Amino acid sequence: MTATAAPVRVDAFGLTDPGRVRQSNEDHYVIVSLQKTVQVRQASLPDARAFDGLRGPEALLFVVADGVGGRPGGALASETAITALVEYIGQAAGCFHNLDVDREHEFLEQLERAVHQAHERVAPTAGARGYGPATTLTMATLVWPRAYLVHVGDSRAFYLRKGRLRQLTRDQTMGEYMVEAGAWTEDQARAAPRAGVLASAVGGNEMTPAVGLVDLQPGDVLLLCSDGLTKHVPDERIAQILGAAPDAERACRELVAAALAGGGSDNVTVIVARMQE
Amino acid sequence: MIQKKICMVGLFGTGKTSLVQRFVHSRFSERYLTTVGVKIDRKEVEVDGAGITIVLWDLAGRDGHEDITASYLRGAHGILYVADGTRRETCDQLPELRALARDAAGDVPGLLALNKADLADQWALARRDEEALARDWGLVRTSAKTGDGVEEAFQRLARATLAAKEARQ
Repeated sequence: MTATAAPVRVDAFGLTDPGRVRQSNEDHYVIVSLQKTVQVRQASLPDARAFDGLRGPEALLFVVADGVGGRPGGALASETAITALVEYIGQAAGCFHNLDVDREHEFLEQLERAVHQAHERVAPTAGARGYGPATTLTMATLVWPRAYLVHVGDSRAFYLRKGRLRQLTRDQTMGEYMVEAGAWTEDQARAAPRAGVLASAVGGNEMTPAVGLVDLQPGDVLLLCSDGLTKHVPDERIAQILGAAPDAERACRELVAAALAGGGSDNVTVIVARMQE
Repeated sequence: MIQKKICMVGLFGTGKTSLVQRFVHSRFSERYLTTVGVKIDRKEVEVDGAGITIVLWDLAGRDGHEDITASYLRGAHGILYVADGTRRETCDQLPELRALARDAAGDVPGLLALNKADLADQWALARRDEEALARDWGLVRTSAKTGDGVEEAFQRLARATLAAKEARQ
């Protein structure tokens, strides 16, 4: 998919794969283009092209959701979360038009509300014990040049600039929280069986969205992925693939291939968006 | 409720994120993780009887690779400059950072948080240096680790943003 988020063209592609071990794929992703346009169907005016100026900026929405493995309905959770999210943002699509500094907080709140909406849609199926479907959710909304991020769980967002890969999100896992609190060392976290348990998940008992943003530049590459990629492919290799691939689709295919070659123990999902110069 | 955008500005490793964590979540971590882009947090506070939502923009610190992105500062109502009292160079670059912030955000209220006050034995500033900074910037000694001065710094800046609004009206 190539879209224009003026003044750059964005080459974006997504791919998901069940991996080599799991029978089903509990990941989902979506790439959505949002735009306000005025389309003249018929006119007697000498030059109706003047209305082209009423075309609003385009926003691109990228979402990766990884249904929590081992829980019932993980695939349904990630599907439900993304559906609810896109529905909410679709209804509130006007929120990114005329987005100036005074309205930016309103916009961020809308994005957060969309995630809460997804949580409320998934959570009722958890049952009395609170142990039901849940999912990670990593969302980037690009209103050029700014990428707004809302993140829950341990999927990740990165960007590559001039060969340097930077992670935009922090994993919301038990291990990360324990290290952050000083209760575990990094080594203890690596060895702990429960380190990977999500401390925050859409549909889970805890859901704490992290919010951030980054201004992108022409030439930058945005990557969203589930942990099926990052548990098998080191950051250096991810950076190499993103830097060398001629287009977003090839980058996605090579990233997924690398995850499968590394063991493919989990579902793997990637979205790559290249800000073309 | 009134919202005020407060940007955290300073060199890398001065403790901007730790101050936000202490202020918003009442926690502190010894682990250092570089901030990438901007992390956004919110906290509702009461200043002189008025409720305010402080929206904290925790900007990646200036380092050898990248400067602070000026566009993040646009629309800020206040700037909390953060320096590390154990690293003198983090104070030396403050005038440059203030010029950058003023170019982007205009003449909005600012305050200097001189952080890591718990590391008294490693303090790199003489009393007269601090007095000069206090005159020039308005200064609060803070420790994200112990919490000392953190609430005061944000309260003072929030109050200044309200006063600035009243002055404009």
